[in-house]
Amino acid sequence: MNTAIEVRQLVKYYGDLLAVDHINFEVHQGEVFGFLGPNGAGKTTTQRMLTTLLEPTEGRILINGHDLAYDAYPAKRHMGLVPEEANVYTELSAWDNLTFTARLYRVPGDERRRRTRELLEVFGLWETRDARVEEFSKGMRRRLSIAMGLIHRPALLFLDEPTPGLDAQSARTIRRLVRQLNAEGTTIFLTTHQIEEANQLCDRVAIINHGQIAAIDTPERLKAAFRRAQSVEVALEPNGQARGEALANLPGVTHSLKLGDKWRLYTGDPSGLVSQVVHHAEDQGLRVISLNTLGPSLEDVFLEITGQEIGAARQEKRDPGFRRRDSRGSR
Amino acid sequence: MKSDEWLGRLGDELAQAWAVAVKDVRVYYLKPPMIMFGLLLPFFLFFSFSVKRDIGAQVGIARLLALTTFFTASSAGPVIIPLERRLGTYDRLLAAPMSLATLLLGKTLVGAFFAILASLVPVLAAFLWLGVAVADAALLVVGLVLASMAFAAFGLIFASIPTRSVGSIMMPSTLIRWPLLFISGIFVPLGEMAPWARMLSYLSPLTYAQDLINHAVLGTGYLSRWLDLSLLLVLLFAFFIPIVKLHQRSRRLGY
Repeated sequence: MNTAIEVRQLVKYYGDLLAVDHINFEVHQGEVFGFLGPNGAGKTTTQRMLTTLLEPTEGRILINGHDLAYDAYPAKRHMGLVPEEANVYTELSAWDNLTFTARLYRVPGDERRRRTRELLEVFGLWETRDARVEEFSKGMRRRLSIAMGLIHRPALLFLDEPTPGLDAQSARTIRRLVRQLNAEGTTIFLTTHQIEEANQLCDRVAIINHGQIAAIDTPERLKAAFRRAQSVEVALEPNGQARGEALANLPGVTHSLKLGDKWRLYTGDPSGLVSQVVHHAEDQGLRVISLNTLGPSLEDVFLEITGQEIGAARQEKRDPGFRRRDSRGSR
Repeated sequence: MKSDEWLGRLGDELAQAWAVAVKDVRVYYLKPPMIMFGLLLPFFLFFSFSVKRDIGAQVGIARLLALTTFFTASSAGPVIIPLERRLGTYDRLLAAPMSLATLLLGKTLVGAFFAILASLVPVLAAFLWLGVAVADAALLVVGLVLASMAFAAFGLIFASIPTRSVGSIMMPSTLIRWPLLFISGIFVPLGEMAPWARMLSYLSPLTYAQDLINHAVLGTGYLSRWLDLSLLLVLLFAFFIPIVKLHQRSRRLGY
């Protein structure tokens, strides 16, 4: 399988702060590769190095075989970038944003006009093509930003947090587009902390934590490797929400999580725990409304790897997570 | 790289620099920092130092031209680049298949364009209302273009500071540009300066622009017009080469 991205011993220091610590990975052509990590783990820094926005301190990056340190031009011609912020020119129209980007990528005149029209239609912006982008909603700006990243038909697309802050319909449209682009052969490097999104879209994911690659595999294999993150989800009546402590103390429960009117009980032995829950309900005179065994979700795997508390992955924590140069001793 | 490939690449890079410049003109010409630092400031300065002083219309116009060229051209980069970093649009430019030198050439062109546009105001005022005759119109055009390019490149030195805040760049930029203004031959002509002050004035790039504009508007200058032209050309390259290195450094540091 051909390699779209090859990263070898990549390091980035900001002054004394170590943001990315000797990471290695490969992205194959034609795959959707998810790059996950908590805030401050080094995922945006890595993505910025891969897209030439930031120079690495050490290490090599090869894009389609071109070393970015010596031969960035051919690599950049075939890569598209959709940054986290919808970085469009709000003073210009959607049409002008796209034609400007096409000029940067030297798309010839006829093709430029054809492609601009095609993308505006695909992204539902044709009717508003001449309006200034400052009048656009957040979802429309995001769609335009993605269209700008696609104007030159890149073989490799970097998507940074494509859906946060969007309404459900816009987010679904963007996910459908990602699948469609990938089906047409575009390799996609998706940086996200939306774990379910990575689960739905990615062929493989890498989890970065404290600047190091903590795991890299397909979502299903990662889940299979974390059997201890299996769980039993139970809803009891009456007053089942107040039964958490008793349920958490059942033998085999490693930890518990309240989810609305249900409790999720994590265990290494779900079938054993099911009988325990049923016995507990009978003893206490409770009715079991629902009882399900669940395999580990990608979020569970992520939380296990990053050592975060359950639920913390959804929080916007600002802990930079960087380490200082001297914390690793001399290099 | 073969010569035809090299020429094709050069053509591409020049077209990309032009695309960046045209886009910047369309996007930033009405941005408040650009209006304040680039367009109004030189006029305020001119009136602060010229009102109620016995200078002729021709001398006043020559002064105003040098001031607008210097301040407008050198403000564009320091206003536009941190603004684009903050909005994230600078990332799109850095990721595009063009060299950093091409991107900075585009930014130099836009600074020069704004400066020439701002210079048109005093030039038109001189012609239409004050009836001032320009001694050498061709020299004035060449001088304004060259000086604007050199000063726009000069402004990009400050824009290399790795920050997303216009204010963080404007502070050091003001700290350097104002002393250069006062030691140049704008407010005190070179011929009237003490020898030590004249030696000091040669450190300011504005000195050569003012002297060249004096040649073009007044028909006389202190230095040779060819020396002024040559030095402005040398300064353009002297500023442009280090800015590529400095902006490369800011790419290493991150912003």
